[in-house]
Amino acid sequence: MTASRGASRTDLIRLVAGREIAVKIRDKGFLASTLVFVAVIVIAIVVPTLIEGDTPEYTVASTADARPVAETAAAIGADGGLGLPEAAITVIDAEDPAAAVADPDVDAALSLDPDGAVVVTAREGVPGALEELVATASAAASAQAVAAEAGLSADQVAALTTPTPPRVDLLEPKEEQPVPPELVVVIFGFMFYFTVLTFGVAIAQSVVEEKSSRVVEILVAAVPIRWLLAGKVLGNAVMALGQVVLIVGAGLLGARAMGQGEIVSQVLVVSGWFLAFFVLGFLMLACLWAVAGSLASRIEELQSTTLYMQIAVMVPFFTAIFLQTESPARIALSYFPLTAPLLMPARVATGDAAAWEPWVAMGVVALTALALVAIGARLYAGSVLNTSSRTKLGGAWAAGGRA
Amino acid sequence: MTHPSLAVQDLTHDFGDRRALDGVSFEVRPGRLTGFVGANGAGKTTTMRAIVGVLAPDAGKVTFGGEPMTLGARRRIGYMPEERGLYPKMKVAEQLVYLGRVLGVPRATAQARAASLLETLGLSDRADDLLHTLSLGNQQRVQVAAALIHEPDLLILDEPFSGLDPIAMDTMAAHLRGRADAGVPVLFSSHQLDMVERLCDDLVLIHEGRVVAAGDARALREERAGRRFRVAVDGSPGWAPDLPGMTLVEAGRQGTLVDLDDAADPQALLAAAQAVGPVTHYSRVLPSLSDLFAEVVR
Repeated sequence: MTASRGASRTDLIRLVAGREIAVKIRDKGFLASTLVFVAVIVIAIVVPTLIEGDTPEYTVASTADARPVAETAAAIGADGGLGLPEAAITVIDAEDPAAAVADPDVDAALSLDPDGAVVVTAREGVPGALEELVATASAAASAQAVAAEAGLSADQVAALTTPTPPRVDLLEPKEEQPVPPELVVVIFGFMFYFTVLTFGVAIAQSVVEEKSSRVVEILVAAVPIRWLLAGKVLGNAVMALGQVVLIVGAGLLGARAMGQGEIVSQVLVVSGWFLAFFVLGFLMLACLWAVAGSLASRIEELQSTTLYMQIAVMVPFFTAIFLQTESPARIALSYFPLTAPLLMPARVATGDAAAWEPWVAMGVVALTALALVAIGARLYAGSVLNTSSRTKLGGAWAAGGRA
Repeated sequence: MTHPSLAVQDLTHDFGDRRALDGVSFEVRPGRLTGFVGANGAGKTTTMRAIVGVLAPDAGKVTFGGEPMTLGARRRIGYMPEERGLYPKMKVAEQLVYLGRVLGVPRATAQARAASLLETLGLSDRADDLLHTLSLGNQQRVQVAAALIHEPDLLILDEPFSGLDPIAMDTMAAHLRGRADAGVPVLFSSHQLDMVERLCDDLVLIHEGRVVAAGDARALREERAGRRFRVAVDGSPGWAPDLPGMTLVEAGRQGTLVDLDDAADPQALLAAAQAVGPVTHYSRVLPSLSDLFAEVVR
């Protein structure tokens, strides 16, 4: 008899967790979904940066009499002030507007009609930014003409056509944030929703697979049921956290590579709370996912036994998405165990929570997690060996008390 | 090393208002193959599940070597559940190693044992295949390997022969014999009564949750043997005795089958036969296991 016969609790839990991880790592569906998620995050960060970096370029043909308007438009476009779009406009000379736009490189042609009004000629449509710039330039030209007729000085004309913008005084300025915090909340919310659902279902499936294949009988004969549950939950928790860290990490690396260092530091600050709440929130529900699996006797029954769990994950997600502005409901729900894991870090991200608040919410979630783990373990113990039919909650509770 | 025996004492268990086990007691002795026989629903599987600790009986106890079945003792059982239990999507060798490690075998030892068990069972070439790609018979062999991976001190096998072809059955039988000869108590259930009769040293017959007979297989049959004798006389296949208190059951090539009443003397039958010609066979007829089974179940 070898000394290792009475393998210790940690060894066994680690062994069971290790198998869960090994199975998951080789699961093609899991690998594919992780890759897709990483790709989506990287694309979401890289693509807008690429687009943003590009000022649109237009080539405008202009008749000699419309030339001042075209040049004013180009000047305003280069400036990008007064809430007007930025654009690099190249002005070229043209005799006939219609002939000029025949050239595919020319986006539009400017001319003046007999009344002196500006005419924009284009093939199928005028790019929005260009149209806006020309309209502004044209209005400025008209104003200038009228002002000149009225005999105003150059300064007066300038004051008329380029008014001084109002000064903005902020009494409680909010920190400049490169990414709107609402967006950060949505991204983290979605990622957690997705991960908890995926891994929750994975736990339930793994349990019902052992039940339907009866492996559980061999295991339970040799390993206490609660250790089995612990290994299963821990294995999946490690993978879930790993996946989230991988995705966030990929996103941050992407942002860094694109020179968006501010995004990195902004996300890093809030992601700590999100991750801490994620781990607790995941553990809080994980045992219940295992119960959802152990109530079923076949994989087909999972749909119905996991229904309430799916709701328990979905509701907090949508609450976090829709309650973006501070309200009593948002404050209350940020302490409610089910919604706290998303809403409290969300409140931190939007700067609405005081420094002590996440700690209190975390305590609430941790206590709930302890209670739910105990309840889940008992229900699991009471139902995992009933392989013949779907187990009712009450029966599982009673049987779990004896196990 | 002396091997302890398994004792089941007064197991009683209800499923709802149906009594599945009613005071079940028997012993599985070391070095003996014990056959567990009973009709469907008689309580075999429930008893075995109670032994391995998968089911907590309402009353009664299970001891191994006089000690209650602790977790440590349960980990020394090789258990094969009735409905086969392995991971369908795990590789054959890998899951044997995993189960071995769960049962406390160091990784390297488990790997070596898995390889040698698969070799013995003729499955070496399937070691790296996913379990569900194997035929049912081969999955069953893997199941056997899973029950043996930790060199258990006690084997509890629920229907180990079901679904096996005759060759696999012989391999399995030889395997069980080998474990029993090594001193391990082996309890297995089966519906193949001829197999049980041929293989078992001890028998436990269970009917409607009660043990109706238990003990040495041969002694049980002798106990229940009536006063029926078979005698064969060379050259006289149709011979029939004409003696008081003897009733002819059949006479033919298998010899002559006679029931004796309580007063009749078996020696008189032998003497009468010898008077006709040389006697090639004379025996008291023991009931077959199926006869025994039919009798106790009646």
